[in-house]
Amino acid sequence: MSWEITGMSAVCALGDTVADIHGALSAGESGLAPVSTFDASKYRGGVAYEVPDRTRPGVDEPLRATRWLVHVVREALADAGLPEPEPGTPVFVGTTHREMRTAELWWQHDAPLSPADLHFTSALRSAFGLHNVQTVASACAASLYGLGMGTDLMALGEADTVVVAGTDSITESSFGGFDRIQSPPPDTIRAFDRSRRGMIMGEGAVAVVLRRAGTHPGRVHGRVRGVSMNCDASHPTAPDSAGVVRAITDAHERAAIAPDDIDLVVVHGSGTPQSDLAETVALREVFKAAEPGPLVTAIKGGMGHISGGAGLMNLVVALEAIRTRSLPPVSDLTDPIEEASELRVVSGEPATGRFATAQVHAVGMGGINAVAIAEGAAR
Amino acid sequence: MNARASVRTAITGVGWAVAGPDFDPATALAGKGMRHKDRASRFAVRVAQRTLEDAGLLDVPELEGAAVVVSSNFGNLDPVCDSITTIATGRSADISPMRLPQLSSAVSAAWVALNHGIRGPNLTLSNGTSSGLDAVAAARNLIAVGRATAALVIGVEPDSPSVARLHRETAGARWIDGAVGLVLEPVQQAADRGARIRAEITGYGKADDGPSAVRAAGGPAAPRRLGDEATERYGRCSGALGVVQCALAVERMEDEPVLAVAGAGTGESDGTSVSALVLAPPLGRDT
Repeated sequence: MSWEITGMSAVCALGDTVADIHGALSAGESGLAPVSTFDASKYRGGVAYEVPDRTRPGVDEPLRATRWLVHVVREALADAGLPEPEPGTPVFVGTTHREMRTAELWWQHDAPLSPADLHFTSALRSAFGLHNVQTVASACAASLYGLGMGTDLMALGEADTVVVAGTDSITESSFGGFDRIQSPPPDTIRAFDRSRRGMIMGEGAVAVVLRRAGTHPGRVHGRVRGVSMNCDASHPTAPDSAGVVRAITDAHERAAIAPDDIDLVVVHGSGTPQSDLAETVALREVFKAAEPGPLVTAIKGGMGHISGGAGLMNLVVALEAIRTRSLPPVSDLTDPIEEASELRVVSGEPATGRFATAQVHAVGMGGINAVAIAEGAAR
Repeated sequence: MNARASVRTAITGVGWAVAGPDFDPATALAGKGMRHKDRASRFAVRVAQRTLEDAGLLDVPELEGAAVVVSSNFGNLDPVCDSITTIATGRSADISPMRLPQLSSAVSAAWVALNHGIRGPNLTLSNGTSSGLDAVAAARNLIAVGRATAALVIGVEPDSPSVARLHRETAGARWIDGAVGLVLEPVQQAADRGARIRAEITGYGKADDGPSAVRAAGGPAAPRRLGDEATERYGRCSGALGVVQCALAVERMEDEPVLAVAGAGTGESDGTSVSALVLAPPLGRDT
């Protein structure tokens, strides 16, 4: 079984279309900049990958994550030729922080808050009449969890079309919390590099429209072949490579493919010592018999960790890499860790080639993992 | 026959951990493993134990393939607001490292999975007042498509200064402080292991308005509709509402199906969407 991706859209620090974001990643651009609305004197590290959309520089605004979500859903629906979707179309919104940034402003008496602001039904209902909205808050695996739930609904025969999205704006509480535990603070995200010091927050949103294969006569961006979702259940914060291996293997089984069929992997690659190591060990295990094995890249060095949408962003960038035959490199990777030496990690320049099948990861805090397998439009 | 019809889903366990005469959070939420957890996670961990015990699934190896599905709207609101106060009055270095996991909306589900070795899907839904019924339906889907052998569904809403302020500002007078749990599993599996089947889930619908949600759930055939007992008993239940409704319906299950509705048209609504779920008394084995 497979599901066609007929529309997609994304926004982050690097741009507001999938093509622009892929282009910026390929050119080695970075959206990293000094934080614009938090008091930098309170932090060791004062940088983040923000979406530069505030009306007044330096003054924060409520409901930015909601605003981006509405934007990307509108763009993805238009891209899919469905500007006025059926009101009951299921929508899955993956998010780590929901509108907790708005809650923070409310707590400091800088913005109003109603309970309905904390989920995304009311905004999508107002904008598109969509009421069947699920706000999936499964940490940074959330948007791929949404993708799995959406494909499940189609497999159950309960929907022919679903919208899957992810959105998050940077919260000051998490920005401060990561600043507290990462010392010295990372200057940028260096996935797989010996000198990596941790994760830096990003923000943005991403959306795709999925349709049951054969129901859409027009152009497709690619196909989702299978999505796994699981939990390490082994440590409160540190990822476990065994859980990641199970997620990858399960995704392969669902997609009915073998490790040799995977051309490229976009890893979670958050640049933390433990998470990168767990993913590397997992990839070595899964692809040990594959020859030559897939190309491996990570995109957070360009856009930061956009949290709930991160997994789905990996997916749309992978599809764009397949379409353009150009896979962006891991940024700032000069001295790879020993464990990655057997992997074909892309660094320096984009890797070019005729790619068909991609594997994308999301490894969330709490050991919450999801892996998706997708193929490009041309089989 | 589609996958839905081929897997009938039963409720085989119910658990309660709600502040009240039978549950004093000051003592019941203390003890081993609780110190560094947020209030929502403490409630969730307590109710997970009770619910699995009720279902006869505590510490069985089969749990490894199960799912955890948590519904909560305000679970991490207090850790977030408290950290903001810490930063505002000092700096990031003043935040306890133990706070970091608590900032995630998914923290309670992750703790429950860790405590019981539950390695299937670990889902947290935050859909407003319909969230609890949506969580039960999502758990049923995870079982129907074969992603989970069983599911532990938890609705949890902790009381805290920020939660209290939000309720008061929006005309709330009373609200729940606690968690409620359900165990879902395939009817056949429950029957095979000799579990007590408390109810079967026979329909679910989500819509813009109450009548449409009830219709989508196949509700009109259910003669008895659960009223506002949940909200009357605990005040606003928010993300826990649908789970509380199911737990009440299961514990009072007689020989008729019961319809639960969460969202507009009930005692509690956030004006966004309405979900409806039909629970039926055990229907017996497939013939």
